[in-house]
Amino acid sequence: MNRATRIAVIVAMAIAVLAPIGLVVYQSFLDGPFFQPKTAFTFSAYEFVLDDEDFYEALSNSVVIAFGMTAIAVPVGAILAFLMTRTDLPGRRWIEPVILVPMFVSSVVLAFGFVVSLGPAGFVSLWVKGWLGFVPWYLYSKWTLIVIAGLTHVPHVFLYTSSALRSLGSDVEEAARMTGAGPLRVALTVSLPMVTPNILYAAVLVFFLGFELFGLPLVLGDPEGILVLATYLYKLTNKLGTPSYQLMAVVVVAIICIALPLVAMQRYLLRTANRYVSVKGKASAQRPVTIGFWRWPAVAVIVGWLAFTVVIPISGLVLRSFVSSWGEGVHLSEVLTLDHFRELTHFPNLVRGIVNTLLIASVGGALSVGVYTALNLAAHRWQSGWTRLMDYLVLLPRAMPGLVAGLAIFWVFLFTPFLSPMRQTMVAIWVAYTLVWLAYGMRLVSGALLQIGPELEEAGRVVGASAGRVSRDLTLPLIKVGLISSWLLIFITFMREYSTGVYLLSPGTEVIGSLLVSLWGSGAVDLVTALSTVNIAMIGCGLLLMSLFGKRSHG
Amino acid sequence: MAKLTIDDLHLSYGSNHILKGITATFAQGEIVALLGRSGSGKTTLLRSIAGLEEPSKGAITIGNSPVFDGAAGLNVPSEKRGLGLVFQSYALWPHKTVFENVAYGLRLRNVPSADIAQRVAAVLEGVGLGHLGDRYPHQMSGGQQQRVALARALVYNPPVILLDEPLSNLDAKLREEARIWIRSLIKRMNLTAVFVTHDQVEAMAIADRIVLLDGGRIVQAGTPEQLYTEPVSLFASEFMGTNNQIKSRVQDKRGGYALIDLSGFPLWGKDRGGKAVSEDATGVIRLEQVSVVDGEGENCVKVELETSLYLGSQWEHVFRCGDLTLRTFGRALAPGSHWLHLPPEQLWVF
Repeated sequence: MNRATRIAVIVAMAIAVLAPIGLVVYQSFLDGPFFQPKTAFTFSAYEFVLDDEDFYEALSNSVVIAFGMTAIAVPVGAILAFLMTRTDLPGRRWIEPVILVPMFVSSVVLAFGFVVSLGPAGFVSLWVKGWLGFVPWYLYSKWTLIVIAGLTHVPHVFLYTSSALRSLGSDVEEAARMTGAGPLRVALTVSLPMVTPNILYAAVLVFFLGFELFGLPLVLGDPEGILVLATYLYKLTNKLGTPSYQLMAVVVVAIICIALPLVAMQRYLLRTANRYVSVKGKASAQRPVTIGFWRWPAVAVIVGWLAFTVVIPISGLVLRSFVSSWGEGVHLSEVLTLDHFRELTHFPNLVRGIVNTLLIASVGGALSVGVYTALNLAAHRWQSGWTRLMDYLVLLPRAMPGLVAGLAIFWVFLFTPFLSPMRQTMVAIWVAYTLVWLAYGMRLVSGALLQIGPELEEAGRVVGASAGRVSRDLTLPLIKVGLISSWLLIFITFMREYSTGVYLLSPGTEVIGSLLVSLWGSGAVDLVTALSTVNIAMIGCGLLLMSLFGKRSHG
Repeated sequence: MAKLTIDDLHLSYGSNHILKGITATFAQGEIVALLGRSGSGKTTLLRSIAGLEEPSKGAITIGNSPVFDGAAGLNVPSEKRGLGLVFQSYALWPHKTVFENVAYGLRLRNVPSADIAQRVAAVLEGVGLGHLGDRYPHQMSGGQQQRVALARALVYNPPVILLDEPLSNLDAKLREEARIWIRSLIKRMNLTAVFVTHDQVEAMAIADRIVLLDGGRIVQAGTPEQLYTEPVSLFASEFMGTNNQIKSRVQDKRGGYALIDLSGFPLWGKDRGGKAVSEDATGVIRLEQVSVVDGEGENCVKVELETSLYLGSQWEHVFRCGDLTLRTFGRALAPGSHWLHLPPEQLWVF
């Protein structure tokens, strides 16, 4: 790309990122919806929200939940990473791919799973009640919410910690064993401290995700009226009877203001973490630490975690979608049915939702990867103020939870005359999705680009290719495999996305995720479980595709 | 005729000055080595010629056409300079076959397909890989990859070919062979070549002329023989060969020679550093110029044999004289005292 194209691409991105945020900030200072002719500048919206007890309740819940789940996810994830990467734990090959499953399933779906399995009338609850005569837990409390949120975010910690541990030479551990430290001591005093920056990064990430939590509190917090910031925003729509745009805008501004420092901190930590690890990046031959008898309790803990966070909710959900009704005294064999799936097909909006989800994930995902690639190429091997600007711009959408970004994009389409005809089309959804996953997608593609040595492109320049031809003939073909796997990951990501489409939901823009949220509100459990099962099956196909592709491109 | 001219070239990354005024000319048909330690600026200079780095000041001219001129704000992009560059890592494109790697430069020049096939075949034949055009780079050995890289740089007849540490990725045996065939290939094609190396033996073996760089400046330029036998500075003498060093003080000067002292033995040496009497000076003599003699004489020192290393073709002896160690090559020696002769014309005082 030449300089002018690069700048044009970056400016386009700046507009796409800044417009929604600018509009939200503008709206937050108005006394009515921005499209109404008579609006005035005022702080009344801020005054209202800051006087609202529910807002503080939601804020403090968000903070407590974020801290609580970090305190659970980080130690469990770190120990899990050590066990999986550095020890001779039996069955590591089988367990490892399953650990990441909670990351790929959308959290509303997981939350539904917990309700149908562990809720007051859930499969597991009733089974336990049959044994004990009572159910020894209550699903809809804040503490259960924290535990579930913590345990479902273990994969994030696992992912970052294990990749760092893998690049650590095993000689440091062997040295500790030689001086007489047992396996647990090695993990706690040598291996894990050496990857502290990565664990810290994962901790901030999990805290941030806890802050953004929407699906779990929406489903699990609602019965007891436990609000967090995102659900407060969602409920605010109906607070005054009419859609109160200015109040929503204020909450969005508040969320962004808290999220942005967290995002900046993550970025800083990621940089230091990478520096820390690359110093000893030479991965010498790794020999697993033998942990002897401890293998069995370790396996038991891991299997227990997997059973709780993956097996119980998902199997419960799938099972529920195949039974006509469930409760005490119902026998499984009598109620098995396919009716719910048949019923799905009777609702045109649900069918459209499934088709739209497939389209947005496949075609939309490919287009998004195209956008991320163009943005990456615009900054590729170019040190300038423009690329630094871009680095910071990428952070902004990251600070907008999907729900918020969806709302902002909805407003942008409402506000901009030439865009408004497309507001109720999948274009709006695609723009919102692409924006929400901008930072993630950019990192996927840049990861592929970093694999190419600069000399491969320089060689092209020297033999006579212009910058554009180098991109076309050399750079893009060289990252082809990386782009395809980026697309597969984006495919799964778009498939599971649920919050971004919530405010954009209208006839024609249904996606499974936003349909699930609105169906749950209406209490249609049968349809919700059936649709969730369809969603899980689609994600499963995506994962299968990914592992097949991974095998082929490595073999 | 000068094929490539570099005039007062400066380059810096921020406050870090890499090139501090390089001026050099390269004649048609000449092979020049840019020699220096890592960080001397040799690779940066080569990359500046290729257009991959942008100097801050100075000028570069290829043939009669300027490709960089700091004052005029001219900087012709790499692809318009038409040079050939062989990368240290070879930088072969892994997704193209050997044939396509080589042919790419011709395709960019819109050469008709039939001609491309013929010219690529010819140049691959020239580097001894005529039959391997269908392979992919990863299917070839390091030595073969290097030949492909060279073929890719040669195929469109560049006016100057640049080579960045071309032999550093080959093992010792292959490197010796490659020295010979690269030099004979470039000479046979009568090309102008500039190559970067940190290995003075490699530079002397391949190049017609050596440009020795240190700290972004040219220390000395000349034929390999000149650099080896007439180094202009202590740095140049140390870089080009293996020396004995005698730290001392100038005691007397006479007719282009200076007198220094080695543990009480007076030694005359060529005055190359221009140091005044009673200034600190360093005497330098190549290992092979020191000889064991029967007895006392002019410019001789008495030494104790400390140890001898057997090198196969000869012995390397390590002697002690006061607190100084002197080394030389020769036949087997008996332990005990010996006399060493350090010829005044081979002992350089800097």
